[in-house]
Amino acid sequence: MGFHLAGAQPQRRIMNVFIEAFIVGAVGFAIAMVANSISPRGLSLTRNYFPPAPTQAASATNNAGAVASPALLATNASPENKLAERLAARGLRRIEFAEVRRLYEDPRREQELIVFVDSRNEQSYLEGHIPAAYHFDHYYPDKYLPAVFPACQQAETVVVYCIGGDCEDSEFASVYLVDAGIPAARLNVFAGGFEAWRTNGMPVEIGPRGSGELQQKKQ
Amino acid sequence: MNPPLQGTRSARAQDLAAFLARIAVGGLYVYMGLSKALYPVDFLKLLRQYNLFESALWLNIIAASLPWFEVFCGLLLLFGVAVRGTALVSLATLVPFTIVVWKRALVLQAASQIPFCAVRFDCGCGAGEVNICFKLLENSVLMLLSAWLLLTPRLRACLWPEPLTKLRLRSAGRVTP
Repeated sequence: MGFHLAGAQPQRRIMNVFIEAFIVGAVGFAIAMVANSISPRGLSLTRNYFPPAPTQAASATNNAGAVASPALLATNASPENKLAERLAARGLRRIEFAEVRRLYEDPRREQELIVFVDSRNEQSYLEGHIPAAYHFDHYYPDKYLPAVFPACQQAETVVVYCIGGDCEDSEFASVYLVDAGIPAARLNVFAGGFEAWRTNGMPVEIGPRGSGELQQKKQ
Repeated sequence: MNPPLQGTRSARAQDLAAFLARIAVGGLYVYMGLSKALYPVDFLKLLRQYNLFESALWLNIIAASLPWFEVFCGLLLLFGVAVRGTALVSLATLVPFTIVVWKRALVLQAASQIPFCAVRFDCGCGAGEVNICFKLLENSVLMLLSAWLLLTPRLRACLWPEPLTKLRLRSAGRVTP
């Protein structure tokens, strides 16, 4: 292989490289868009995955599709206070481990009047979740909503959680559920998340919902 | 002593080095691109941390296209198609990415009050959490290799190294295979 292209004039060759780069960029972008639309994990281009809280939206520049500022960049207040502020602005309630535990041990949970919703990704969910928690990865709502929506509709109290810490998935999953028609007053965001659940030695269900495969309490 | 032989050896060494550079850059792009393309939500979340886009549409477009675009460029380099054009695209994307990663590391450094080279974070580059100085070094090497592929006089073991130039020369009847 390899062609001696010494016959080409230098200026023409430089121009060719720029045109080639432009073609590579255009074709690459087109192929990337097609690959994203074909991929089962592809992203929706028009959906706002990170809708800002009403207070953030008001301060954003007249942009309906504005993205919420990442929690990690919030440096002028503690992450806990920021989260509480955002949840309050969205009409959601933040709850801590003690209350989550009480709800978990409440007999109404057996009747599905208290429902737990895990908003982490599939791999994390299968590795372990709060027993009987529904899985709702809000990035792929079509896959999970048919199961989780009726459960939330008939529940009196819904507890949504993700991993904890800086994780915002429980917040955005709750926002999605509210937009889908679940009253915000029913939704509670477990701020400590699955980390707090596990570190407190609570039981963990492995595999799909209702698998019955439980890791026992350590305490 | 023997200039023609030395010249041949030097040319072969250059050809081999250019070939290895192409495989290294191309292979890395395919690996990094696929690791992001298979988990686009993770990449979307990481991209959002840079706070570069206020609009959800732009954030989604970049998160959806960039990993596959990287895979595409990597394959072009591996197979030796439009090598100089792809190397130019590689350079043109690496420079702003490196600046953005560097600026984010400065923000993290200021927030955590640690030495710059002690900063570790997932930059969304496809290799998980990395040390910032290692990442900047890696990007510098990639930029140098891309620049070399752009400027190297000969490209060997390529399927279609300079399609545009070749097509134009062919139409002018000046190609010597």
